Amino acid sequence: MSLTLRILLIIISVISFILCVMRIKQSKLKIENSVVWMTGSILLILMSIFVDAVDWVSKKLGFMAPVNFVFLSVIIFLLIQTFINNIKMSLLNEKIKDLNHYIALQENKNKKEEK
Amino acid sequence: MKTLIIIPAYNEALNIEKTVKDVKENTDFDYVVINDCSKDNTKEICEKNHFNLLSLPVNYGLTSVVQLGMKYAYQNNYDVVIQFDGDGQHQAKFLKKLVKEIEDGNDVAIGSRFVTEKKPFTARMLGSRLISFAIKLTTWKTIKDPTSGMRAYNRKAIEYFIKNASLTPEPDTLVYLLKKKLKIKEVQVEMKDREFGESYLNPIKSAQYMINMLFSIIFIRWATKK
Repeated sequence: MSLTLRILLIIISVISFILCVMRIKQSKLKIENSVVWMTGSILLILMSIFVDAVDWVSKKLGFMAPVNFVFLSVIIFLLIQTFINNIKMSLLNEKIKDLNHYIALQENKNKKEEK
Repeated sequence: MKTLIIIPAYNEALNIEKTVKDVKENTDFDYVVINDCSKDNTKEICEKNHFNLLSLPVNYGLTSVVQLGMKYAYQNNYDVVIQFDGDGQHQAKFLKKLVKEIEDGNDVAIGSRFVTEKKPFTARMLGSRLISFAIKLTTWKTIKDPTSGMRAYNRKAIEYFIKNASLTPEPDTLVYLLKKKLKIKEVQVEMKDREFGESYLNPIKSAQYMINMLFSIIFIRWATKK
C-alpha cells in the first residue's frame, strides 16, 4: 500500500469517527446505529497503520495487491450495511402501514358510534 | 353467509357513486369503500352519501387497501370477503355467483373473463398468459384469468391474509393459497372498460409488475410449505 493511500484512509476514518461522535452528541444519531460506523472506521485506521499484517493476510488469500483486499473489505462492509438498512426500512414500512390501518379503522368506528 | 364487499378507491370521484349504487341495487351484502388517500374529492363524496367508509391518511397502494379490508372483515366476523374495483369495470350482478361457489365449498372464487370465452392475443393478455403458465408450472393448476381483480375469499383465506402481511391481491398469492391446499374456482363474468379516470398501469409499470409477479411466483411462492 502506498503512503498516500494510507494517509488518505486514516484521514477518512478519523473524520467519519469524529462525525459519528458529534452526531451522537447532537442526538441526531442513535448510539446503536453509530457503533457499526465507529468500529468500521477503527478497523480502517488499524489497516492503514499495520500494513504488514494486511500484506500477510492478502497474500495468504491470494490477492494481487494488498490494496485490493482493503477495498474488498470496505465493499463487503457497505453491502452488509445497505442490506441491514433495507431490512429495517421494510420493518418501518410495515409499522407505518399498521398505524395507517389503525387510524382508518378507528375513524370508522367513531363515526358509527356517533350515529 | 355474512359477506363483505371491499371497494378500493383511489382518485375515483367520478366512478365511486355509480359503483356503490350498483353494489347496493344488485346485491344485499355489506360493503366498505376504502379510500387510499385520494388526491381528488373521493372522500368528500363518500361522506356526503354516507357510504360505509374507511379512509387511509397516507397513500399506501392496493395491497395495503385489501389487507385493511381483510382486517375489517376479520374484526367484524365476516365469512366471505369480495374484492370489487371501484372504477366501474366490475358489475355487481355477478357477485352472487361468486358467493355461491364459496357456499359450495370452494375457498376462493375468481370472477374470470376467460372460462368460456377465449383469451384474445393482445400485449396485455400475453402477460396474463405468462402468469398463467407460471402458475401451471408451480402448482399444476389452471387459472385462466389470474390478474382478475374480482375475487371472493372465505374465512380460511381471510385468516391467511391476517397472518401473513406479504400476501397481496395479486396472482402470486393464488399460488401461495394453492400451495396451502385451498380450492380455487373460476366463474365466468363480463367486465366493462373503464369510463373515467386513469388506470394504475402504464407500459413501464406493467413490465415491472410482470417481473415482480414472475419472481415472486417462481422464487418465493413455489417453495411455500403446506
